[in-house]
Amino acid sequence: MQAIRELLHYSYLILSFARRDVRARYKQTALGAAWAVLQPLSLMIVFTLVFDRVARIPTGGTPYPIFSYSALIFWSFFSTAMNQGTLAMTANSNLVRKIYFPRETLLLAVLLSASLDLVIACSMLAVLMVVFKVSVTWTVLWVPVLLVVQVLFTFALVCLTSAVHVYFRDIGHALTLGLQLWMFATPVAYPMSVVPEAVRPLYVLNPMAPLIDGYRRAIVYGESPDLARIGIVLVVVLVLMSFTYLGFKRAERTFADVI
Amino acid sequence: MSDIVLGFEQVSKRYRLRRGWHFSSVGEAIGRLRRRVRSDDGTSADFFWALRDVTFQIQRGESVGLIGSNGAGKSTTLKILSRVTVPTSGTFSAVGKIGALIEVGAGFHFDLTGRENVFLNGAIMGMSRREVESKFNSIVTFAEIERFIDTPIKYYSSGMAVRLGFAVAAHINPDILLVDEVLAVGDAAFQAKCLNKLAELREQAKTIVLVSHNMTNIIQHCNRVVWLDRGTVRAVGDPEAIVEEYLSAVSPSAPATRSAESMVDGDAPVRIVSVVARNHRGESNEPLVYGATAALEVEYEVVGPVVDPVLGITFENANGQTLGGLTSRFAGLKLDVSQPRGTVRLVLDPVIFTRGLYKLSVSLQDERLQRFYDVWSRSTTFSVEGPSLASREVSGHVIYPHRWHQEAR
Repeated sequence: MQAIRELLHYSYLILSFARRDVRARYKQTALGAAWAVLQPLSLMIVFTLVFDRVARIPTGGTPYPIFSYSALIFWSFFSTAMNQGTLAMTANSNLVRKIYFPRETLLLAVLLSASLDLVIACSMLAVLMVVFKVSVTWTVLWVPVLLVVQVLFTFALVCLTSAVHVYFRDIGHALTLGLQLWMFATPVAYPMSVVPEAVRPLYVLNPMAPLIDGYRRAIVYGESPDLARIGIVLVVVLVLMSFTYLGFKRAERTFADVI
Repeated sequence: MSDIVLGFEQVSKRYRLRRGWHFSSVGEAIGRLRRRVRSDDGTSADFFWALRDVTFQIQRGESVGLIGSNGAGKSTTLKILSRVTVPTSGTFSAVGKIGALIEVGAGFHFDLTGRENVFLNGAIMGMSRREVESKFNSIVTFAEIERFIDTPIKYYSSGMAVRLGFAVAAHINPDILLVDEVLAVGDAAFQAKCLNKLAELREQAKTIVLVSHNMTNIIQHCNRVVWLDRGTVRAVGDPEAIVEEYLSAVSPSAPATRSAESMVDGDAPVRIVSVVARNHRGESNEPLVYGATAALEVEYEVVGPVVDPVLGITFENANGQTLGGLTSRFAGLKLDVSQPRGTVRLVLDPVIFTRGLYKLSVSLQDERLQRFYDVWSRSTTFSVEGPSLASREVSGHVIYPHRWHQEAR
């Protein structure tokens, strides 16, 4: 609890780190913040060519670009935060080695700067929905709720991966590969309905599956998310986070010695 | 308990010597984990104790100097004080907000402007936005970079970046301020400014911990000194007394011998045989006396044909910093190489060094000063008795022969 109070004291630092990350990321780039849109957009185009034109994935009448983009932006948010969060300690090793501050501020800053990208990507989604004449209903209000769960889940994971990365740089290499595989194990490019019955129980193990499925339901189909499964995910995430966050706080005290 | 704000209670800090963790294979890591589970914490060769059972207390308003030679544990102590790391055993306690003037500018991002970096660095040091805003002008003025505040700092000179870093750090307004060697940054004027800032903080009864190799600064700015030696506390007390003791202990006096650091050219025609420092009474292995004469005798042997070799003598302080050097050619002396052996004597008249230990490096070179025949590096140590830095009346290692004149009008 003392850690939480200290974190509040350092809230301006979180904001400053996030601002630094955003400014530094788009300085000396010609396209600037457009990169936040380009990444999910280009994936969407590739997916449309492969899964819509070639594989003919059923989307229940929704234009495939909307179908995939509405999931891709949230997946991008997750994978960006995972990638940058995992590397956060080592990327700031000169700070970690020399100056004291609660190290999780770096993780929270990553989540914050990644969510700015998400906001930009969301505005692109709005444009696409107008173009493809897909209308939203009140169920879109579920999105912030799902986001809270997703952010907690991401934070719980990066607490673990960033701390381990201080000791083993292997994590950085494994992560890129892992996230790619993970995306295909999550209903981003395809709906849950095409997953064979026999495989479906395995999806229980993937907290990102009901979240991504939930975003799509809330934004595109005007349905509520699978609340029972989201509830389970939330409980699992909170338990996970209490372990990884405490572990992180314990490990951070000697990051400076090993980093 | 009185007003103790910083406390070290039997603090020990152990580091792993093997850098293994970063690059080790998974197999090795599992092996190590298994050993750990068996509570066999590795062999002692794997570890290095940077601090061992260090105990001291610092009271509110005190200004404490940390001294010791390299590797004595000063940096580790500072790291624990600044909470960058924790002790392996023992307890460290602190009361109040700690600010560290360590590695100024470590938090700079080179793509951001000076202004952005001031806010970022302030935040890293625990300041709120309002705090930085209220001190912003004062910081910029202190750093003397008004004109460049909106320029990305990658275009700054290194001096400007360091000044800006120090300026931010100097404005954190902590209860306890930790200062590492940073006083060595910037030009003389900026250093004076930093020292004034330190004096100002002392007047405000802030607690200060100062780490420096500069004994003059330690004596001027501290009211107590902790002397660390190979990870343990060697002495604590009055700055003058401890600095005095420290200066006379940093390097034991040793007779002139060909040390491991000597280098000789295999077929050199001349070689150094011995180097001896004699005081004004002609005694070797006795201190030289400030203001009196002294002589440095170098004996050499001639083993081959050689034309006008040049003898060089360099003075260094106990930390190995060069204070000055001379060659026989500078004075127009020609070494006599007609006999198999010869001795040259450099007379110091007078000895101008302050109290402390000094080392000599002696070399023989060819007549064009391009090739070394023989080098005795730090081969001879001598001590000097005379005015001490601890008196605060003099500073540095050399007192120039001088006279004062004054006129009253």
